[in-house]
Parts: sequence; C-alpha cells; structure tokens
Amino acid sequence: MTVLGQIVLLTGKDLRIELRTRQTVGLVITLGLLIVTVLGLGLAPEGKLGGYAAPAVLWVAYLFGGVLIFEKTMDKERRDGAMAGLMMAPIDRGVIFLAKLLSNLALLGFLAVVIALFAIVLFGLDLSAAPGGFAGVMAMSLLGFAAVGTLFSALTSSTRLSGGLLAMLVFPIAIPLVIASTSVLNRLFASKPAAGDDGTFLTALGVLVAFDVVFLVVSWLIFEVVLEP
Amino acid sequence: MRMRVTLYWLATAAAFAGGVALLILYTPRERTMGVIQKVFYVHLPSAICMLLCGLLVFVASIGYLGSRRMWWDDLAAAAARVAILLGAIVLMTGMLWGHIAWWGRMRWWYFTPKLTFSLLLFLLYLVYVMIRPAVESPQRRAVVAAVYGVIAFLDVPLVWLSARLIPDPLHPVNEGMAAPMKMTLLYWFVPVGLMVAGLIVARFRLNRAVRERADALAGSAGGDA
Repeated sequence: MTVLGQIVLLTGKDLRIELRTRQTVGLVITLGLLIVTVLGLGLAPEGKLGGYAAPAVLWVAYLFGGVLIFEKTMDKERRDGAMAGLMMAPIDRGVIFLAKLLSNLALLGFLAVVIALFAIVLFGLDLSAAPGGFAGVMAMSLLGFAAVGTLFSALTSSTRLSGGLLAMLVFPIAIPLVIASTSVLNRLFASKPAAGDDGTFLTALGVLVAFDVVFLVVSWLIFEVVLEP
Repeated sequence: MRMRVTLYWLATAAAFAGGVALLILYTPRERTMGVIQKVFYVHLPSAICMLLCGLLVFVASIGYLGSRRMWWDDLAAAAARVAILLGAIVLMTGMLWGHIAWWGRMRWWYFTPKLTFSLLLFLLYLVYVMIRPAVESPQRRAVVAAVYGVIAFLDVPLVWLSARLIPDPLHPVNEGMAAPMKMTLLYWFVPVGLMVAGLIVARFRLNRAVRERADALAGSAGGDA
C-alpha cells in the first residue's frame, strides 16, 4: 500500500467514526457558539465586532475548540487497544502523524467555517474586504496549530488530566500564530494602510510560514518517540 | 563537599557585592534616565542567562529523547526552574525601570515588544515547570517535559519575531554607552552567571537525590521501579 493510500485509509477511518457518532463536532461547535456569544456580548454589546476584537474572539473559539478536537481524535485510539493495533500495523509512525493531522485539520476547518459564520450572522463580522485573505491566513494558522496540537495530544492522552494539560501545553506555543495572524488580518482589513506597514506585514507572514514549516517538520520527527500503546 | 559549596556561594556573594560597589562608585549616572538606569546592569545579564537556560533545557531534552536516561530529565527540570526565576527578575527589573524612567506614575506595564517577549518567555517556562507534577509516571513525565522543552525553545525565535509586530512608541533609542558602563555591564555577567550555574547545579543534585530516594523506596516496597 502506498503512503498516500495509508493516509487516506487512516484519515478516512477517523472521519467515518466522526460522521457516524458526531460526538466531537457537536461538542466543539456548541462550545464555539457559547464562546462567540459570551465574548461577543462582552466586547460588542451593540452587536458589531470590529478591529482587534474580531480575530481575538475567533481565536479563543478556535483555540479551545481545537484542543478539544485534538484530545478527542487521539482519545479514540485509547479505547479497545486501538493504539497498540495501530503501532503494530506495518505503517510508518510519521504516516500515522500525517493522518491524525489531516483528521484534526478537517474537523478544525469545519469548526472554523461554522464559527466564522456565527460571528458574521450574530455580530456583523465583516469579511468583505478580503474574504480570500482571511481564509488563507486562518488556514495557515490552523495548520501550524494542528501540527503542535497533534503532537501534544499523542503525548498527553495517556496521562491523567489530559484535557487541561493539553491546553496548557499548546496555548503558550501557539501565541506567535495569534499575534502574527491578527497583525496580518488587521492589515488586510485596514481601509488605509499606514506607511511602513509593508515590513510588518511581511514579517507577520514570515512568522506564519516559519511556524508551519518548523512545527510540521519537528512534530513529524518527534511523533514516533512519543507514541505509546 | 559541603565546604566547597559554601566557598562557592561566598565567592558569588562577594561578586555581587563587587558589582553593587561598581554601580555606586564607578558607573556614571545616565543623563536622561537618571539613577534607575543602573537596574539595566542586572536586567540584561539575567535576560541573556534566561535564554541560555532555555537552551540548556532544549539540549537536555534532546539528550533525554535520544538516550532515555533520567539524568537528562533532572538537568532539564533544574534549568527550567532557574529560567523562571531569571524571568521573574527580568520582568521585575524591566517594569521598575520602565515605570520610573518613561511611563510615569500610574503605569507599570506596556505591551512593548521587549516586555511582551519577556512575559511570553516567562510563561513558556512557567508552563514547563507547572505541567511536570501533573504527569504521574516518571517516564511519561520525562517524555512530556522533553518534547515540550524542545518545542518551547524552537518557539522562542518565533515569539521574538511576532512580539516585534507590536507597535513600540515608547522604548528609547539606544544612545550608546560610555566605557565605564560597558565595563560594569560585562562585570555583572560574572555574579549573575555564578548564581545561575550554582543554582542549576544545586537543583540538579536535589533532583538526583529525590529520584534516587524514590527509586530506593519503590525498590524496597517490592514495586517494579
């Protein structure tokens, strides 16, 4: 079986379980809706999110929802000795990482779209200035976030307190993503870019790209020493 | 052994006393910021030593993941603890400096790039120390901590770059330092470095002793250690 076939098989298995049980998605979207509502009412009681507040609200929903997703997709392998089976299968551990990453990304992408729609409908989040740019920046950010999250979820799933621990581990690491993507988004949505902004813009994009590359490669490399039945 | 440790800490204390004497007698008063600028001589060596501690955590973590010997884990844990102590020193001296030199009476904090970077670095290693007791099995704890130690250190340059995206209207331009200032700054690396090295070694020995004791207890109780 080719590597691509293995990835399709493993990711397909995760997504099929999710499609049939709808456990994770339901939980995560409800949580995201709650976060957007609570923060939105706190920050924009007049019903309009703008400026720096909008990406922040989305990020809080993505961070907490993401941690829940990473935890749940890895938790499935904990049951019925699935992890031992997976580790005994003639599959490279790096392939297992990539498959888990893709499953996480699929769920995270779905969460991101639904939460953004909530924010648009409920709080008048205006993406019309650069919808493609918004999607691209968020996709890049969530890729890096999912890479780190997938690695750490494999680490913590065998421990007590796995959920709280995972959030503690992932949040400080993900801070550059939050700062850089917020900076890029503000530039994209600014009506009049200030002089000297180009350097900042490029640095912010560079941080996003560097985060993705570094943590994709490093997580992929470390993942195999972390797995444990 | 105990004698050597006492002598080491006496020498460190003497180095600190020498540093304070230099601050009082030798370094000139900075023209615009006044006497509070002298906190800088403690601030910068602490910040650099903190980064070095992060590097040590990184190296020890890779050592652990490569060899799976608990020795490395004890070293990484010791270095991380000293890193958060240094982080606290950096943050406090930085806040004091900014408060008195630029921000005025009511401000103790601005999210300037450098302060943000220090705070985030402090948080990164605070998490390292805080998650350790949350993992029960010593082997698993070592793996979790080692992976986090590697990822956290790789995150440092990205944190630095992203912190620089924050606008910085307040930080003063460096006007260059007079020769006595440079000499004092160089000197202050000695006491801070001595303190850091001493603390890491002390903590490392303590970690080793605790682990040996725990292993011995587990062994005598008949458990598989």
